[in-house]
Amino acid sequence: MWLPLIGLIVGIVVGFLLDWRVPQEYSSYLSIALLAGLDTIFGGIRSYLERTFNVRIFMSGFFFNTLFAAGLAFIGGFLGIDLYLAAIVAFGVRLFNNLAVIRRIVLSRWINQQE
Amino acid sequence: MLQKNRKITFILAIISAIIGVMLTIQLRSSFHPVHKESRSIAELRASLQKELEKHKNLLADISKYNQLYYQYETSLNEDESLSVMKEELARNRKLAGMVSVEGKGIVLQVVEAALHHAELGHDGEVTEPLVGGYTSDEEDLRWLVNVLFANGAQAVSINGHRMVATTPIRYVGDSIQIDTKTIQPPYELKALGEPEVLLSALKLEGVEENFRMANKEIIAEKREKLIVPAHREQRPIQYMKPVKEKGES
Repeated sequence: MWLPLIGLIVGIVVGFLLDWRVPQEYSSYLSIALLAGLDTIFGGIRSYLERTFNVRIFMSGFFFNTLFAAGLAFIGGFLGIDLYLAAIVAFGVRLFNNLAVIRRIVLSRWINQQE
Repeated sequence: MLQKNRKITFILAIISAIIGVMLTIQLRSSFHPVHKESRSIAELRASLQKELEKHKNLLADISKYNQLYYQYETSLNEDESLSVMKEELARNRKLAGMVSVEGKGIVLQVVEAALHHAELGHDGEVTEPLVGGYTSDEEDLRWLVNVLFANGAQAVSINGHRMVATTPIRYVGDSIQIDTKTIQPPYELKALGEPEVLLSALKLEGVEENFRMANKEIIAEKREKLIVPAHREQRPIQYMKPVKEKGES
């Protein structure tokens, strides 16, 4: 379970070393993609705890969600529709749902252990 | 099973690495946004030019006031400082149009074109106005005065009425009023300033053509010595009062 954490740290270090910067107008698309990625990560953790984790679903979910979220927000920008708001709401709600489920599972397991 | 588990953790690590990179990029872009200069070089150059001009003017102002301050400072005894103040007062009165001034300038006579021709002994018939029913020319006068002032005229008077900053030219009833005095044609304008510059400005702005459309003619004359009378109208001071100045004095 340590490997993903190390991966995260390596990613952060690489990101700082690369020194890439996104122009202001594209910043919202990256933030949408990031939100989608985080949502997928928490969804993965939840399904892992519920023992329904499937690596293929997880992988496809990660890439599809990030790319589609950013792409749809971009197209929405072209059409003058604030699709990125919809993406933020949808992913935000799902993120908090996943977090709540994870917390409940962890809490119930901890209570079970106590007993 | 162990093999598969290891694979999953490996994939998770790669994905978290990607997330980390995205996170840092997002952080960096939101902390130090990339600024784009959208103005073109020409615009920038123009605004730089404008600022330089302003800077120059301000420097000139500073040196002028420094000089004045120096004059006040150096006049040690009371009499001298009084004389400096009197000089300044006289200068201000001159600028405000409260005294008659003289210098070189031009005299403009606005006359009916037909009348002018008749005087000159051309064929006596009265020419019809080119623009039908055009009688009001207070706007033309206003324009003429503006052109004169814009091209460096120091003092302007119409039929002996000095124009100052607050002087109105209005069409009241059947005649033109300057301040509250009615004036009658023919109009005679006196303007102090560089005669060549003023005359060429009149030509350049198309003033003469415009007056000709109203069947009027401007006869311009250069004068080496011209006296423009003082502003006679009393202006009651109603809405302004001096500000109490703070600081040591």
